[in-house]
Amino acid sequence: MEFIVQGLSLLFDPKVILVIIISAIYGLFVGAIPGLTATMATALLIPFTFFMDPVPALVSIVTMEAMAIFAGDIPAALVRIPGTPSSAAYTQDSFELTKQGKAEMVLGVDVVFSVIGGLIGAFILMTAAPLLAEIAFKFTTFEYFWLATMGLSVTVMVSRGSQLKGALSLFLGLFLSTIGVDITLGFPRFTFGSVELLNGINFIPAMIGLFGVSEVFRSVMHGELAYPIAKVQAGKIFKGMWPLCKRFKLNILRSGLLGTFIGILPGAGADIAAWIAYAFSKRGSKEPEKYGSGSIEAIVDAGTANNSCLAGAWIPALVFGIPGDSITAILIGVLFMKGLRPGPLIFERQPEILYAVYLSFILANLLMIPFGYLAIKSSSQMLRAPRNILMPAILIFCIVGSFAINNTVFDVGVMLVMGILGYGLEANGFPVAPVVLGIVLGPIVEKNFMMSMIKTDWDVTQFFTRPISAILCIVTLLIWFFPLFIALFQKVKPSHPKGRVSKIE
Amino acid sequence: MLRMKKNDFIAGGLFIALGLFIFTQTFTYPSLEKGHPGPDLFPNILAILFIGFGLALILKARKLLPKTEMPCSTPKKISNAFFVVGIVAAYVILVNRVGFLITSAILLFILMKKLEVTLFKSVITSVLITLFINLLFSKILRVPLPYGILGW
Repeated sequence: MEFIVQGLSLLFDPKVILVIIISAIYGLFVGAIPGLTATMATALLIPFTFFMDPVPALVSIVTMEAMAIFAGDIPAALVRIPGTPSSAAYTQDSFELTKQGKAEMVLGVDVVFSVIGGLIGAFILMTAAPLLAEIAFKFTTFEYFWLATMGLSVTVMVSRGSQLKGALSLFLGLFLSTIGVDITLGFPRFTFGSVELLNGINFIPAMIGLFGVSEVFRSVMHGELAYPIAKVQAGKIFKGMWPLCKRFKLNILRSGLLGTFIGILPGAGADIAAWIAYAFSKRGSKEPEKYGSGSIEAIVDAGTANNSCLAGAWIPALVFGIPGDSITAILIGVLFMKGLRPGPLIFERQPEILYAVYLSFILANLLMIPFGYLAIKSSSQMLRAPRNILMPAILIFCIVGSFAINNTVFDVGVMLVMGILGYGLEANGFPVAPVVLGIVLGPIVEKNFMMSMIKTDWDVTQFFTRPISAILCIVTLLIWFFPLFIALFQKVKPSHPKGRVSKIE
Repeated sequence: MLRMKKNDFIAGGLFIALGLFIFTQTFTYPSLEKGHPGPDLFPNILAILFIGFGLALILKARKLLPKTEMPCSTPKKISNAFFVVGIVAAYVILVNRVGFLITSAILLFILMKKLEVTLFKSVITSVLITLFINLLFSKILRVPLPYGILGW
């Protein structure tokens, strides 16, 4: 197809290749160092993408996130500390196998199955997104309202830990999104006379604060000392991988699909994908007793799922402008900055950019093999990076990055406040990801609701009578009452088996 | 966690307070024609949700059993955090007047010294990082960094 060729030519531009290489190294570094998350890395990358053309900007995010999610597996195996939350599910198993002298095998599995997972996700993205875009053409403000509300509901349902706290975090994000002039009358809300706040809280400094600065606080408050790192012979990591691929081919398929699907769900990212895949893996395994004490099957499943999830999250983001995870929440901000409105129109008018993105997913995952090898080889140096120099450096990058968007120190102030907020929330068990989703989805919910009401002169029935609206409404209601169903179901069937996953911890 | 239980009470209270605060603000917001809700609709719904869920949090916290697990945080480390807040606030106030290069280098230096980096390393890395960022943002990305009175 001609779009593939156009996409390839956009991708294989020397500037873009340079961006890919730098993003890859950045992603590997961030992923491999515990405490630096992929979302934070994305937030810090945005000030740079601000100055790039659309294709390298998007491609840098794709490459960085793929590498970061893989690289989080490295300290998980070598030091028993996950580099990113997405590796937490199988950290115990990875480390136990390392203690048994099988570090090379674990890392080989991490590389190979991350690549496979990523490719599965990329393939589904490439085929499903254009199909969904066709359906999206039929969406009006009513349907977008329900879709965004559904997204909010799913975010609460899958939030880690207490759903009550997840909901409150989400409401906080929604509230933050109301600051500024409103959509109907241009009336300033919660601005307290500040001119800078008329346009609302600037999204990028808020993200940098929530994810970057809060992490600096965390590190400064609970900083760990150096930890002993297992030695690894990088040359041996690919030994025995092909037989494992054959042995676990059904696992790969299941986890790849599961991971991508979870990615599509708004608010559910790579860490949740890994946990759910782990749970399914244990239930379907012939050796469930090994889980937690060194199951290679667990690592295969969860490692595949967390990488396939990444591409899945781009599907609702590109087609509807609804983020599949916190990284794509930030991505949507980038798309708007580049003048690319997510929605069926980019699929129609600029498909070559999208094809460049799909192809970059494939390229990034293939590059994971040589880059992963290099990362593993230099892992002990990377893990010894001194925190007390790294954290100040990250802080100054946060400050300058926040400044660079609008050239105002007010945004640095926003960054600081959001940093304190982010730290305070996480320290008290409130997840931060729903805040981001609230900030992004809030305007979508309100705008579409208000527009729907204004154009039909407040005819609320249309939310339930339009066919697609009605379906989305029913799904949303099902999501709200899902926990209730589970509770009733368990009362009716007292002999229900214990392994059920209904809440993610 | 004993701390968690008390904190949840406070958190619940704060959210309820936020909800009530929102109501005080939206009181003065205009409506659309024919009395339909306008800018106040969404915030009011959120206010109700904050109050409701905040109450639920408090009620749930009453049932929590106090445990003793807590992440370790010495008073020194807590002071580190306040220090970071203070130094960034000072940066925001001073950077436009004093200039990017000097303010950033000083921020880095002070922070590293507080985190117990040796004097020599602090000086060298502060200067190097500042110059690197200046190169990257100002020269390559052409961001107009504030250069202050001295032009630095």
